[in-house]
Amino acid sequence: MSMKLADHLGHALARHGEHDERIWVLDGDLADSDGALHFAQRHPGRFLMAGIAEQNMVSVAAGMADCGRRPWVFSFAAFLCYRAYDQIRVGLSQSRQPVVLAASHAGGLAARNGKTHAAPNDLALMLAMPGMQVWTPGDRDDVELATRTCLAGDGPAYIRMPRRPFDEHEHLPGQAAPLRWLRPRRSITLLSAGLSSHWALETAALLAQRGIEVGVLHCACLQPLEQLAVELQEVRELVVIEDHVRFGGLAALAAQLPLAAHLHAFGWPVDYAGKSGSDDELRAHYGLSAPTLADAVTAIHHQPSY
Amino acid sequence: MKIEYIDTGSVVPACHDDGSGASGLALEARELRRDIVTTLHHVGGGHYGGSLSVIDLLLVLYRRCLRVDPAQPRHPLRDRLILSKGHAAVALYAMLRRMRYFDAPLAGYASFDSVLEGHPDMTRVPGVDFSSGSLGQGLSVGIGMALALRGVGPAVWVVLGDGECQEGQVWEAAMLAAACKLDNLHVVVDCNRFQEWGWAPTAAEPHPLPVPDMADKWRAFGWHVIQCAGHDYDGLLSAFQDARVPRGRPCVILAQTSKGKGVPLVEAAPWRFHCETVNSTEHAQIMEDLA
Repeated sequence: MSMKLADHLGHALARHGEHDERIWVLDGDLADSDGALHFAQRHPGRFLMAGIAEQNMVSVAAGMADCGRRPWVFSFAAFLCYRAYDQIRVGLSQSRQPVVLAASHAGGLAARNGKTHAAPNDLALMLAMPGMQVWTPGDRDDVELATRTCLAGDGPAYIRMPRRPFDEHEHLPGQAAPLRWLRPRRSITLLSAGLSSHWALETAALLAQRGIEVGVLHCACLQPLEQLAVELQEVRELVVIEDHVRFGGLAALAAQLPLAAHLHAFGWPVDYAGKSGSDDELRAHYGLSAPTLADAVTAIHHQPSY
Repeated sequence: MKIEYIDTGSVVPACHDDGSGASGLALEARELRRDIVTTLHHVGGGHYGGSLSVIDLLLVLYRRCLRVDPAQPRHPLRDRLILSKGHAAVALYAMLRRMRYFDAPLAGYASFDSVLEGHPDMTRVPGVDFSSGSLGQGLSVGIGMALALRGVGPAVWVVLGDGECQEGQVWEAAMLAAACKLDNLHVVVDCNRFQEWGWAPTAAEPHPLPVPDMADKWRAFGWHVIQCAGHDYDGLLSAFQDARVPRGRPCVILAQTSKGKGVPLVEAAPWRFHCETVNSTEHAQIMEDLA
């Protein structure tokens, strides 16, 4: 059975909720779409349908957290990041409250919902928020890791999850970790996060067919960055592939690192606001399909200097 | 994981009424007003009007109602107070300092080296139960606290401004609090009838209120409404006691206050004194009025 990562998060929280009485889930009337229903069904006494009122919901969670609860706020990324940004700023970031924002339908692919429901620049907003830990899980194991880590932490966090469901056995290779090598490091390495790590793997497979071996490093958590710099020290061509506009996301983070590598960034154009359409159509149109990315990396491979 | 306060062994805070009655409160109110205007003049100005209108509400709450212990400002079983109209920070700081939550001089208010941030900052100032300053968020935070503390004992008080009630989030929160039947949540609105700039006056309505028909609006959202005079200590005390009667729904007290109360210069010019500086002559007159 295929499930969205947010569904896995709802299940994981429901399990933790069996022995952790502090956990509450708040939802903005999207429980059957954003994964919150799994907790609601198991722990109805600690589930709050907060109404279609995300600003209020985030501040309510802040008050709960200050009284010793561990609230998780579920909605679509767009309605958390954009609608409730000031409430996140004052109530979670400035006030240092351990509230986790469980953001489904993040990134630039919103299928038929289109641009109002897309969040192609959410990382730019959340990475700029002081004290906010940002997670970009790529599979179910990452979701479990993020859940455990956030429950053990003492500050706010944002978990960015894509809309598309994953097949039951659709795992990224290797063990879940904040940084995970999906293919061993090479002088050309692809750097990706969340959903785009699947794109990076598809791209690497096509390149392998052409006899070009590239590394793939997947980020499940975007802080702290010190280890990322260590992992990428021997990379000469760093190719960032992200489900985010090319401003303020993973490429921008990588550009902050003290690296010798040349940086190549592939993401949505900065003026991309989201659009109705299938994942494949949108990726193809904006140059993010695996064949297009493979062609781009092939060109990097054949650069005269290389 | 258990919730911390279930197993707390410490003594539950109580309200320590000193028995001085309304006359005792009046004496302290004068001192607090002097603290406020002295601080604001010292730091080059600030929110005179709203600080002077809200201070009697804070005074009666802290001295007669709230079960708190300044020696344990984060006691899990204390009552909470959120000053949602955070621009009246100096009034809250003056009150908390007289309660001995901290010793930091008010003269440092909003300066780089002081813990007394320009707007209430829970991460820096002992006794501040939640940060505020961006209007409209305190009631929502209070709902979260009231839900977490429901059935445990503590009450949650939220002080709003009437201008602040223009924020949509206040009404999102009002709707949810009523839906949750939170009778451990009490709101006090400092209805001083002014805001920074205000709606344009018309011939039909020379002084439009920040939010007209306030009582009707709260009732329509499912709240129990109590109306009282905002500078009458016995009336306030009785309203606050009435608010704590369990009714299966949240309660709001609409306290009719005067912007700049106690200082004729400010009361006569409420728009000027939303946030203002005074010259030394005016300050001397203000101090004389509060002598």
